[in-house]
Amino acid sequence: MMIWSVIDILICALVVALAMAALYAPALRQRVMFFIAFGLVVAITWARLHAPDLALAEAIIGAGLTGAMLLMSLDHTSDMPREPASYGLRIGSAAMGGVLILGLMMIVSSLYPIHDGAPTLAVSQRQVESGVSHPVTAVLLNFRAWDTLLELAVLLSAALGILNLGPARRSCGHAASLTDGLARVLVPLLILSAGYLLWKGAFAPGGAFQAGAVLASAAVVIHLTGWEKLPRVGLRSLRLLLLVGPTLFVAVGLLPLLNGQAFLQYPVELAGLLILLIESAAMVSIAGMLTLVYLGGHPHANWPIELVNPKEPM
Amino acid sequence: MSTILIVVVIVPLLASLTCLMLPRLSDRLSLGTGLVQLITGGLLIQSLASGISHFHELGGWSPGLGIALRADALAGALVLLCAIVSLAATVYARRYFTCVETRYRFWPLWWLLSTAIYALLLSADLFNLYVTLELLGLSAAALCTIGAAKTEALRSALRYLMLGLVGSLLFLAGVSMVYAEYGTLSLMALAGQIAQTPATLVALLLLSSGLLVKCALVPLHFWLPAAHGSAPAPVSAVLSALVVKVAFYLLLRLWFELFSPVMTSLFATLIGGLGAIAVIWGSLRALTAARLKLLAAYSTLSQMGYLFVFIPVLAALPDEETRQLGFGALVLFALSHGIAKAALFLGIGVIQLQVGHDRIDQLAGSAQRFPIAFFAIGLAGVALVGLPPSGAFLAKWSLISNSLLTGQWWWMVVTLTGTLLAAAYFIRVLGAGFVTLGPEAPVKGVGVSLQAPALVLACLATFGLGLGAASLWDVLAMGSAGGQL
Repeated sequence: MMIWSVIDILICALVVALAMAALYAPALRQRVMFFIAFGLVVAITWARLHAPDLALAEAIIGAGLTGAMLLMSLDHTSDMPREPASYGLRIGSAAMGGVLILGLMMIVSSLYPIHDGAPTLAVSQRQVESGVSHPVTAVLLNFRAWDTLLELAVLLSAALGILNLGPARRSCGHAASLTDGLARVLVPLLILSAGYLLWKGAFAPGGAFQAGAVLASAAVVIHLTGWEKLPRVGLRSLRLLLLVGPTLFVAVGLLPLLNGQAFLQYPVELAGLLILLIESAAMVSIAGMLTLVYLGGHPHANWPIELVNPKEPM
Repeated sequence: MSTILIVVVIVPLLASLTCLMLPRLSDRLSLGTGLVQLITGGLLIQSLASGISHFHELGGWSPGLGIALRADALAGALVLLCAIVSLAATVYARRYFTCVETRYRFWPLWWLLSTAIYALLLSADLFNLYVTLELLGLSAAALCTIGAAKTEALRSALRYLMLGLVGSLLFLAGVSMVYAEYGTLSLMALAGQIAQTPATLVALLLLSSGLLVKCALVPLHFWLPAAHGSAPAPVSAVLSALVVKVAFYLLLRLWFELFSPVMTSLFATLIGGLGAIAVIWGSLRALTAARLKLLAAYSTLSQMGYLFVFIPVLAALPDEETRQLGFGALVLFALSHGIAKAALFLGIGVIQLQVGHDRIDQLAGSAQRFPIAFFAIGLAGVALVGLPPSGAFLAKWSLISNSLLTGQWWWMVVTLTGTLLAAAYFIRVLGAGFVTLGPEAPVKGVGVSLQAPALVLACLATFGLGLGAASLWDVLAMGSAGGQL
């Protein structure tokens, strides 16, 4: 017990220290590095708070993909942004932030003891009807599946927004034998772990979001290595890739309406299978969307369609 | 189980996915979707008027474990507003974006924004509301970048996105506070439980400030003029008419249904005071704006201010019946502004598209060249200023008489000053536009479907809402929102 509280205090101190470093380190590159480390320590914090699903997501997305994205952006940023605010303004905002943090801490401590009895009880009571045995997956894909469907729509709109911006980042193409060999090991392993996380989600921490993020990181590795031999994703395939997850989700949700039941009301005996189906499709789409976020632009200049004549009448 | 609620939220989502899959069909498909939404919205408000309340437990799980959708008169009225404005903007966008590639990029995001708006209006779950706010902010910011090659537009879109995220995060912090304190996220379950605890007060502050950022109430308004002023015209119309409005709708729900035991008259007066500053400040900036779209954006700022001025007046009204009537006036004002502002932006878009700019001092001759669009702008001005017979006139009348009734004459002064300023900035536009340039032949004809949506909306705001206000008021008075006030 004692040893754990020491470790917890260390983690807390580390989170604050890394956050400060990520904000105030002298060079932009250092700040990015500190931010990646910060993400990893936050992931450990989630694990210590008994939220392994969040820990996984934070490690993969918060530290991994975001880190890769920031590092890529560094290549396009020449120097440090100038300090915009005056000394007095910074002191003032720091003081205001401090007061806010203290106030919030006082309020949060007034919440103890947290009574999470009723909702947790409700989830565990109806768990058997959800089709999966992991409570987080039951909440995300069954009890509150509408939230998850809308989250997919959020990701879709982010991806579509990025496709509007400009051309995707060029691969820096470090086609050295070392990176090539590393990628040959990493990519199959990442794909395998994505499948494992997806399958495991029914019983244990994991699921479509984590698996999709791991798949996306496989794509990032491929992009970094600059493999030329891989076939390019065509426009139609790209659209299908983005669509398959949300479309299947909506379709499965609409079917019960034919029987006069509610939207997204899966039949109890099929629930497990349907959830796996939805999650598999969602994983593919999420991987595609996150890869686009990393690429930061469209891989095809004429997204979303091959046009014969761009000024064609309606 | 009301399937109509599912139709309202799922049709735009399906439209978005289909437009992405089959881009070549998307122009026709979007028109069809807009029509379906209008019909559904009409059916919804009709059934609400006949006393049916709508409720749908998603997944068949009771609220608390699952998420529920519900519609009362307030939600129904706003669903209809959104359906009307988005149909008009859809018809308009088909002609506005002349490049076919831009249109194909536009439609999927357009319908995702619609999905977010309808899902937000119907949701009865606090966390789900956060998700809809995220979708709203992201799709709206992405739409601002459509067809924009200019760095300026991209920069304001990015700032809009950031501000939206800050608002959503504040809202999320409030949601987590509420969940920790009460152990449920369902609005129905929460309504009876809210009590005056420190955590509840902080939650109210966090939720409110998150939404106030999205409503652009002074002093959180600085992002709005750039974002609304630089987006493409149909997007500006929807941003100004609907997106800020649904955030305000959520505030109404929170303040008058959920947190009514915690709301004090001091809080209401503070909000009203900020609203009053927004009314005057927004009007003054609109008066000096150099571009038409910027003028319209600042006008949104000041018109949103009136909605907040209503709050302290309503909170001080003594008896139930006058409160319901006052609440009806508030909703009427919101609807009227939504339709009129959309008409204004669509009308400005026509001029900007043809002339290539929207600078007010170079408008001379535009009344000659675009008679329909300019007439629409004038009519929208009538509705925005609040001249009879527009809906805004009735709403402002009610606001003034109620402020006198409750002994708060200062709100009347604000309303009258704002109205005079609004009249001044519209006369400035009309004055500039009606300067004739001599016998110059009208340039190439502008398509009817580009000009008609603005005109139809402007007529609806000026005549439809004013003359049809009585029936709308009846529906709203029946609804739970007015009842629980």
